[in-house]
Amino acid sequence: MTLGIIAIGAGIAALCGAGAALGMGNATGKAVEAIARQPEASGKINSSLMFGLIMMETCAVYALLVGILIVFILGAKA
Amino acid sequence: MLEVSLFPTPFEVFGVNVGLSVVISWCVMAILLTGLTLLYFLVVRRMKPVPRGAQNVLEMAVDGMHRWAEGKVGHAADFVAPVSMTLMTYVFCNTIIELFGLPPATDDINCTFAMGLCTFVTVNVTGLKFRGGLRGRIQGLCNPSPVVMPIRILTDLIAPCSIAIRLFANIMVGGIIMQLIYAVAPVILPAVVASYFNVLHVGIQTFVLGLLTLVYVSEAIE
Repeated sequence: MTLGIIAIGAGIAALCGAGAALGMGNATGKAVEAIARQPEASGKINSSLMFGLIMMETCAVYALLVGILIVFILGAKA
Repeated sequence: MLEVSLFPTPFEVFGVNVGLSVVISWCVMAILLTGLTLLYFLVVRRMKPVPRGAQNVLEMAVDGMHRWAEGKVGHAADFVAPVSMTLMTYVFCNTIIELFGLPPATDDINCTFAMGLCTFVTVNVTGLKFRGGLRGRIQGLCNPSPVVMPIRILTDLIAPCSIAIRLFANIMVGGIIMQLIYAVAPVILPAVVASYFNVLHVGIQTFVLGLLTLVYVSEAIE
């Protein structure tokens, strides 16, 4: 019973991936549009895109860390 | 069975528990210092006007870092580029040793938090230096209007924690995935996957750490 609830918690933590994926898709799509309009600005667009992607990836990594800690540390105690 | 722990593996030196990652990073630092001293005496002391061989590689690395930093932070690059390059070298060498079967030192949250604190000190020292003391720094913090100042201070304080947790989680997760793959298929598959998780992934995380240092510095001095 407790193990099942722990597994549900880890699954909820993994839902953060949906948000990160939406953000990444949106940002990359906008960057591609911007590069298609102005190919000469692609260097600047790429570096800002990279910074934004790192920030979104951080959010996803936090969720991953929470999921792993729930599974391995709470799961080992249960 | 897979074991995951937030606490560092204990390791005793002369009866004092310092943790395994600290000892490993000492060894890596010793190797790095020896190698860099050798490079200094063999290459840097005998620089030629027309570079060849190792001098070419060194000049490319230093010049590439300097130009990258200049594109981000402008005139502060002379001060920030060496710091960022040092951090990147340390993190890269401490993580790539996973290839030799040693536990990486960055798989310990204390090590990555130290990296975050280094970035924090760099950002604030550069901010104080290039904005003209404490007054300029505070003016920079209440840039659009003084209302946002607490939020910007909070952002600056969270930055080292964010860097620490990002690096730690990425390295730890890479290690966990490699352990799982070793458990599933111990023969051929790990060699393929390790080229991503132990080499390319380490390079990306190193690049991210350098980029974040430069971006935070450029926010502090703008």
